[in-house]
Amino acid sequence: MLGNHHRIGLGLVPVIALGLAACGSGSTAPTSSSPLLIGVIAPFTGPDAALGPAYFAACLPAARAINNAGGVSGHKVSCQEFDTRGEPADAVPAAQQMVASHSNLMAVVGCTSDEASSVAPILNQAHIPMFCMTGQSEFNKTSFTYFHRLVPPDEFDAFAMVGSALDHFNYKKVALVFGNDIGSQAFVGPAMTALKNLGATVTINQAIALGQSSYRTEVTAMLATHPDVIFTEALGPTDATYMAEVKQLNGSSLPFMGTSATIDPVWFAAVSGAIGVQDLVSNFSAVDLGVTFSGPGYDEFKTNLDAVASQFPAAPKYAQRGATLHLYDGIIQAALAMDETKSVDPTVYNAVIKDVGNGTTGSVTVNTYAAGVAAIKNGQKVRWVGAGGPTNYNQYNNSQQGYILVKYDASGNEVTIGTLTQAQTAAIIAAGGG
Amino acid sequence: MTYYLTTLLVYAGVDVLACLAISLQFGISGIVNFSFIVFQAAGAYTAAVLSMPPDTANGGFQTYVLGLNLPFPYPWIGATIVGALLAPPIGLVVLRRLRSDYQAIAMLVLSVIASLVITNTPQFLDGAAGISLVPQPLSNIFNPYSDGYLWVYSAATVVLAAIIFVIAQRIINSPYGRSLRAMRENELAASALGKNSVALKMSMFVVGGAIAGLSGAILVGFITTWAPSTWLYPETLILFAAVIVGGRGNNYGAVLGALLVPVGFEEATRYIPPFGPPGLIPAFEWVCIGGLILGFLWFRPRGVIPERRRVFRLAAASQPEEERGGG
Amino acid sequence: MSLIVAAFGFGLVTMSIIAIAAVGFTMQFGITNMINLAYGQVMIASAYAAYAVNNAGVSIWLSMVVGAVFGALFSFLLNRTIYAPFQRKGTNLIGMVIISLAVSLVIANVLLPIVGYYSVSYHLDTGPTLHAGSIALTGVQIAIMAVAVVAMVLIYALLHFTRLGKAMRATAANPTLARNCGIPTARVIDFAWLITGALCGVAGVVAGMNSDAFSVANGSEFLIPIIAASVLGGAGHPYGAMIGAVIIGEMTEVSAALITPEYKQVAAFAALVLVMVLRPQGLLAKRGTLAAAG
Repeated sequence: MLGNHHRIGLGLVPVIALGLAACGSGSTAPTSSSPLLIGVIAPFTGPDAALGPAYFAACLPAARAINNAGGVSGHKVSCQEFDTRGEPADAVPAAQQMVASHSNLMAVVGCTSDEASSVAPILNQAHIPMFCMTGQSEFNKTSFTYFHRLVPPDEFDAFAMVGSALDHFNYKKVALVFGNDIGSQAFVGPAMTALKNLGATVTINQAIALGQSSYRTEVTAMLATHPDVIFTEALGPTDATYMAEVKQLNGSSLPFMGTSATIDPVWFAAVSGAIGVQDLVSNFSAVDLGVTFSGPGYDEFKTNLDAVASQFPAAPKYAQRGATLHLYDGIIQAALAMDETKSVDPTVYNAVIKDVGNGTTGSVTVNTYAAGVAAIKNGQKVRWVGAGGPTNYNQYNNSQQGYILVKYDASGNEVTIGTLTQAQTAAIIAAGGG
Repeated sequence: MTYYLTTLLVYAGVDVLACLAISLQFGISGIVNFSFIVFQAAGAYTAAVLSMPPDTANGGFQTYVLGLNLPFPYPWIGATIVGALLAPPIGLVVLRRLRSDYQAIAMLVLSVIASLVITNTPQFLDGAAGISLVPQPLSNIFNPYSDGYLWVYSAATVVLAAIIFVIAQRIINSPYGRSLRAMRENELAASALGKNSVALKMSMFVVGGAIAGLSGAILVGFITTWAPSTWLYPETLILFAAVIVGGRGNNYGAVLGALLVPVGFEEATRYIPPFGPPGLIPAFEWVCIGGLILGFLWFRPRGVIPERRRVFRLAAASQPEEERGGG
Repeated sequence: MSLIVAAFGFGLVTMSIIAIAAVGFTMQFGITNMINLAYGQVMIASAYAAYAVNNAGVSIWLSMVVGAVFGALFSFLLNRTIYAPFQRKGTNLIGMVIISLAVSLVIANVLLPIVGYYSVSYHLDTGPTLHAGSIALTGVQIAIMAVAVVAMVLIYALLHFTRLGKAMRATAANPTLARNCGIPTARVIDFAWLITGALCGVAGVVAGMNSDAFSVANGSEFLIPIIAASVLGGAGHPYGAMIGAVIIGEMTEVSAALITPEYKQVAAFAALVLVMVLRPQGLLAKRGTLAAAG
């Protein structure tokens, strides 16, 4: 038998981990000057490693804007990343550890489709307002009162794509090429239903495995069906590989349309590197969340985003990423709710977030955090209209703001070529069978 | 705080069960089951589809088979049985007289095949999206988010792990265990002595599979969701690393390995303070996990708790038959 | 029908890439008894090394040489600093597998912060797409096939016509006997890692060339088909790995045409399982190798 001290010594490691947990938690509620924390819980490693930084890029400018105006009721705020490693079983301890070690969490952003199902109940139970990026339809009628979603469910993207393809471009024959992961496959069903109901044809439906080094057989099969346009979302280098092979085997690129997830600097860099910027600019369009990239709210966001480049050099690249804009808005909404209720207790201010987003009678619209603080000091209620435009939470704290139809320009910026208002989107969803 | 502690306890219990199963299969019997995670996944999926309502419920956003809405403990029993049933077909394919490395590769590839098939057959188990909103056991009677429920769940997990530990100890220290070790050390000699190595291996394969199925049921009942991303083939390898670091060939080593690697290394690294651009620390955590495995294997190559050398002395003679420890 | 013929053509490229990689992998196993799970990560690291040079303006072919040199040195150092010391300590086969897993975790997560999560593409001209019947291949793809053929010929020449090659075969067959015959097995092993590392590097670069875009996540995707091809042909037998690559490569592409693309990898791996059921030692290995290591 081993000397007992060896076994005990090493068995202490998990005990030490628990001890750190206990020490780290502090378990004191925020005092009048202790800092508050915004947690960014998302994949930072693994196949979806590109998502976490995009959401971190929302937190930093929000924190900067808040701190420059004196913080939240005098508390400074900061951001911290919590890696879920891209799957629900690893996300659970990540979320639990985040909650246990940080009693000063004011809000949490991130929670993608990879892990939202397991993380949302934890955060709801811990009474922490969360702004999630999952498009899963299980959250369309959620009972989690702390759950907020500023992006539409994936199926709405699908309807918007179909509506735009048919109305704006007059495409009739569509090939569906979506990655076989959680987030991308959610589009296929609604897209097929909508196309059928609105009189177009699906020439082929391909679910492709991500990260393969070649899809030439799939491309050949797709080309044989002669579609007018390819609908696609396949993240990582997958879309780049696939579309490059389309170009090689067809002789030239085909028109293709992407979901809002394809409006992302990482995706742009990958695909333009593979097929050339010019081809991407001429042949590609996408639906993106209905933001205008202009106005005082967006300007304040952009100023702060550029300023945090010293901390996170890639941050300014996310200036037009819909997710980044919306999560920034969510954080500021939470902060303003805390200011209005003069409380750092989420059970008090969580319900007010909806009012800050939608506005109430007599509320004054503000576009910068400093203006919001000033108005609240004057005894007024505020409505936040920020980087992503006006919010309209429904009873399930889901917000939908219509879509814009966009193309890329040669530098990777978005160019709006059409809009679908919230009402138009709702009409398409109804007509498409959603 | 309660939630994190209970999470750690449940995860520790599940990992202990998994490592015990691997220890029985690999440490004692020499079967390199690199498809282990498939057994755990099968148990989790079984428990899920047995305990959930039919797939039209909750808005019908997912598609899966069955959906029998059975109350606890039937889903867990079903999961254990399915884990055991999965063993014979796989075993018949690979438990022939393959070298351990070929066995290992074949099972690894089977694990990848299983993952690919489930992902690309959405009608079966909802494909890549996986199954969510799995009801926790007895959640129609008790509030599954209350402190009391969580502590009871953790206690139940720990108790089950302890029971399986006792059973595993009995197996190892029995004549049956001696046959297994003999077969592991020298299969030819054991066969010459009349031990049916195929039957021995298959029996351990089934027992290990059952334990794996149970561990999956416990885990899915706790996290209420299960998707292919949770059971990729590297998960098996992490568990093997745990058993080898802890010391295989004995159950104390398996338990220690389970506490060290999947719980200890993976969780303690979450406390590294953040610095640098986002993504740097999370990547660094994995570097630490890999480095810790290498470090432990360097300084304690037989595992922290190596297998006990067994010495059998004849009644009055001085000729011990020793078994080599550690294999 | 034409889709199947086209798929057959694509399979030629896939098999070429797998062949280069699998021969290296299987030789590492044959000569040093090492199932090197970090092989895929070394491939992607070499691909990135070649990209660094290529992005600075160097032609893709020279960059491939850089990738090969990087792969050779990296693999050589990996063996010298980690694998060989552990093996000298007496770590057994499965322990070494776990060690290679730990190494792959470290490589992947050191690479990720360095190169980032962006995907990159080589700067190259894919050349015209040539059509022969239903088969459509770009100039680059034909070049990749040529590289594979050259690599296979060089390996054949190495193993049969050089003293080093014969020493490698002797070491693979029976290291103790080889040492007793005066073969400097340690030096042979060093060379083996350099050569197989170069193959690994070339394979990574051509995989990146063929896929037009790659990122760190591709590293783990490479590994399973390579292992499958090696084992199918008989682990440790380079010609077996070539045959295994042909089978895996063609099955992947043709089954995508025959069945559906979603199951193309399943079909290829199912072929491996079938072979292992019918002929457990692999296609080219002799039956006697069954009971040996373990």
